[in-house]
Amino acid sequence: VHGRRCGGRDAAIVIPLLEDDAKAWLRDAGFTVPAGATASTAADAARITEALGGDVVVKALVPMGRRGKAGAVVRAASATDAAHAASRMLGMSVGGLEVREVYVEAAVAIARELYAALLFDDDGPRVVVCAEGGVDIEVTARTTPTSVVGAPIDPLRGLAAWQAIDLWRRAGIHGPIARNLGDLTARLYQCFADGDAELLEINPLAVDAEGNVVIVGAMTGIDPAALGRQLRWRDAAARARRLQRLSPRERRVADVDAEVPGPEARYIELDGDIGLLVGGGGAGLYQQDRLRAWGGRPANHSVTPPTGSDRRKLRAVIEAILEHPGVLGLLVGFNYAQMARADVRVTTLMDVVEAKGIDTRRFPIVIRMLGAGEADARARVAGIAGIHYLPRDASLEDAVRLVVELVARARESRGA
Amino acid sequence: MSILVHAGTRILVQGITGSQAAVDTQRGLRYGARIVAGVTPGRGGETVHGVPVYDTVAEASRSHAIDATILYTPPLAVRDAGEEAIDAGVPLIVVTAEGVPVHDATSLIASARRAGIPLVGCNTNGIISPGRSRIGAIGGEDPGEIYAAGRIGICSRSGGMSAELARTLKFAGHGVSTCVSMGGDRHTGLGMADYALLFEQDVDTDAVVVFCEPGTRNERDLADALRAGRVTKPVIALVAGMFQEHYPPGQAFGHAAALARDAADTASAKIAMLREAGAIVVQTLDEIPALVTAAGMRGRTA
Repeated sequence: VHGRRCGGRDAAIVIPLLEDDAKAWLRDAGFTVPAGATASTAADAARITEALGGDVVVKALVPMGRRGKAGAVVRAASATDAAHAASRMLGMSVGGLEVREVYVEAAVAIARELYAALLFDDDGPRVVVCAEGGVDIEVTARTTPTSVVGAPIDPLRGLAAWQAIDLWRRAGIHGPIARNLGDLTARLYQCFADGDAELLEINPLAVDAEGNVVIVGAMTGIDPAALGRQLRWRDAAARARRLQRLSPRERRVADVDAEVPGPEARYIELDGDIGLLVGGGGAGLYQQDRLRAWGGRPANHSVTPPTGSDRRKLRAVIEAILEHPGVLGLLVGFNYAQMARADVRVTTLMDVVEAKGIDTRRFPIVIRMLGAGEADARARVAGIAGIHYLPRDASLEDAVRLVVELVARARESRGA
Repeated sequence: MSILVHAGTRILVQGITGSQAAVDTQRGLRYGARIVAGVTPGRGGETVHGVPVYDTVAEASRSHAIDATILYTPPLAVRDAGEEAIDAGVPLIVVTAEGVPVHDATSLIASARRAGIPLVGCNTNGIISPGRSRIGAIGGEDPGEIYAAGRIGICSRSGGMSAELARTLKFAGHGVSTCVSMGGDRHTGLGMADYALLFEQDVDTDAVVVFCEPGTRNERDLADALRAGRVTKPVIALVAGMFQEHYPPGQAFGHAAALARDAADTASAKIAMLREAGAIVVQTLDEIPALVTAAGMRGRTA
């Protein structure tokens, strides 16, 4: 299942910025960031290295951490070395993602590696600092928990330099550098808030030989809900979407979701055989649980927008569900509708079913949808063999049980 | 009684000229909700289903006593509209918008807390006290079909499941004192434990049914309240989302998120936590009515 799981339901996926976008942003905001540029060929990497002069670090542009361990961060002492590193990385797979570009940046003579992050926990924004950077913060938090110092941030007041200085002192940093770090951390929070970031993690936050604080590693996640007012992230969002590891069907839904305005639609492919057309909220979670409890194997999870919005999104989700090669039947399961219209969903579903020439005698469809537009919805599928529109007193449990049974039968008859 | 929304609660609708707001206003009035005024900047002087529209909350509150406001403003305008309501001193704020940026949501929540004003949502479907009043879309066109008046409190992370819970109760002959769709966002104003405490104080609520999801500290706080004896009425909890534990977590691209995530976040952990704290945890909606019957009796004789 893609996406962060905080928030319980499939919260909209935070948009990961690639390192070049993140660093350009931080550079614009006045932070010290090593000079660097993006290359899509080995020759580009060599040219950039020559222009930078001196040692460089070649990094695969994939939105994930721990790239060093995957061989996706390599130091190079010459243009030839940089070209070699780039040609090894381009096309390779890091964490399942194909590397299409590398970032080539001037190597920093690091005297000390630190860590700083701004993020949200269940209470709100939070700052975390640590005197040991360059390694996994989870590991440091386990081995030396006292070295990781965090504090909640009052979003109405922001993070003041004096508060951040106090944190760095508690993390064991003293002297003039504590003041520099405090100033920087406070300015980072301002960036985090102004840029609608959900995560801004600087690791390592380096102190060079002259005592300058340099941003060497930057991991950033942008709040997708803020794209409407953050024009600067539109291209970055499109780039992140292209990099997502998606099945062809997932990609089509993601593309339609991005093109068509309105509330989110999402299709998440799973390895089972029962298609699931749900709203994506609590009832969706509940039906996933109940399908498993009855021995069913869901073929997908879905998030569909309210029926008042553009129907292309709903249609794209339905098409994806029905095109999944493993799917043997469909559950259309919704909680009693207080706002949505059942007829809109059933009409859209039947348009797709008919366009695809799906024979519902071989592909069972169980519908449990009550509320507005229900009479029209029932009329639309009345008398069609294989479509089971459950009566008004049916529970979600009844629908789940029936679809599991019908799909088991369909599986047997296909196997026979 | 009921919690938050009572017979006679005087309601303001911010963004009343929007299509969903207008529909909900009409349905609310029909249900008996006392919607006294609306606000849409630039549309002052108009009426929506007979409700006078003002340009600002301050202006509306000069002409009407207001007990609660519901915001239909689009997600990016929620923070401003919420601050406007806080500034005017409206004593209850309900936010319907889905997809409010997290910086805005957490700022507005902090602002409301500082002012001592309860904020419901964001991303709530509304609150209904059956037979008395309602605020928001909750209940739809005909709330009577699923929400019967009675003595069970409902608090749901999911707007849709609040309807499903109420319907399940009604089919078994039970009614609801108040049903709150608290919003499914990670950050909400009032939390599940706050609602449980309100139900605890409500003489007309015998038991509380909660619908829970993975993520957030809501269930942890509720478990704490149960353990501390601050909530003594029976709590029946349906926790959805265990299936997520059968799939790998979403592709993590940073470490900080993992650091912030609590081990008590999963559905299974919440089930264990709530059960240990004394809640009755069920797997299915269909189990609830019989338990409510038993719990309701206990509630009355306590």
